[in-house]
Amino acid sequence: MEAGYHPCAANGAAADGNGGAQQAAAAAAAAAPAIREQDRLMPIANVIRIMRRVLPAHAKISDDAKETIQECVSEYISFITGEANERCQREQRKTITAEDVLWAMSRLGFDDYVEPLSIYLHRYREFEGESRGVGVGVSAARGDHHHHHHHGHVGGMLKSRAQGSMVTHHDMQMHAAMYGGVVPPPPHPPPHHHAFQLMPPPHGQYAPYDMYGGDHGMAAYYGGMYAPGSGGNGDGSGSSGSGGAGTPQTVNFEHQHPFGYK
Amino acid sequence: MRQARPYSAMFAGGVSARTGPHALPLARIKKIMKRSAGDSSGSVIVDGGGGARMISGEAPVVFSKACELFIAELTRRAWAATLDGKRRTMHKEDVAAAVQNTDLFDFLVDVVMADLGHDDDHMD
Repeated sequence: MEAGYHPCAANGAAADGNGGAQQAAAAAAAAAPAIREQDRLMPIANVIRIMRRVLPAHAKISDDAKETIQECVSEYISFITGEANERCQREQRKTITAEDVLWAMSRLGFDDYVEPLSIYLHRYREFEGESRGVGVGVSAARGDHHHHHHHGHVGGMLKSRAQGSMVTHHDMQMHAAMYGGVVPPPPHPPPHHHAFQLMPPPHGQYAPYDMYGGDHGMAAYYGGMYAPGSGGNGDGSGSSGSGGAGTPQTVNFEHQHPFGYK
Repeated sequence: MRQARPYSAMFAGGVSARTGPHALPLARIKKIMKRSAGDSSGSVIVDGGGGARMISGEAPVVFSKACELFIAELTRRAWAATLDGKRRTMHKEDVAAAVQNTDLFDFLVDVVMADLGHDDDHMD
């Protein structure tokens, strides 16, 4: 029966067979028996797309592996949310915030994610603020070195290098940090490696760009600019800052080997 | 060499109406969060109790990226298991191996074991 186990088992058949093994799915089903299958899982196509990004081109993925990872994603969200929820409960708050989620991640061992996610969130806020026309005060408060990049990140990417370097570099820093954050600590810590705690409060006080600044962000930026065919190396975090000096063609791409660690 | 494209969705014209610039649909994430936060669809919020929570709009945004990181990491580790077995196709056993070899993924043990489709009986 286990062989036939499918997400849909959570809709009622989960009780059958192999003991606690299906607890997770069963518990999810118990919480809301009427959950439709498609509401319980991330769309498989999206999951596969993300998987493919980190696998070599020749890699094949069986359907069962795809489905398993799809299940794991939902479990991951539940796991983190549960912890965040408990915190809110303790503090008698009704709303689970992004900050609660980040806190829960760091509590549960995903502290490597916290920094890239904080940056991502920060950028999302800027982007949202801009597109809704309410971000004026925010961007003004955050210093002058990136205040005009908002209008269209895509456009920013394509701008001339002279302008683009300052305009978009933090996109690429995120870029770098994003994937740098996934891997275990690199042999030599990236320049921005510091004790980054939880993300800062929503407004104003966020000013850590200097901390992320400089070389590796630039390297990543130039890498992205000059090697579009290779897709913007996600692992700029460990590479040297040679690109920052304006010699993009010498940027040392040190990509993370897709399966270079265990 | 293949490389990750963390922002491909945002930069490569892949911004879809359904997911926006995010690689995963926020509404779906939110639903899963709601369930995990003790919401039994429509139940009354109980202050200080374990009742339903509201979810800040930013929380699913964080998760959309977090899930990307998570999928990427799990996939890499599973692929390492695939290669260990001298195979070229990743199977769920590889995902299970990745989970079992990684403390961080302990919370997934039940999921991957439940999914493991051996015909022999599962031990308690």
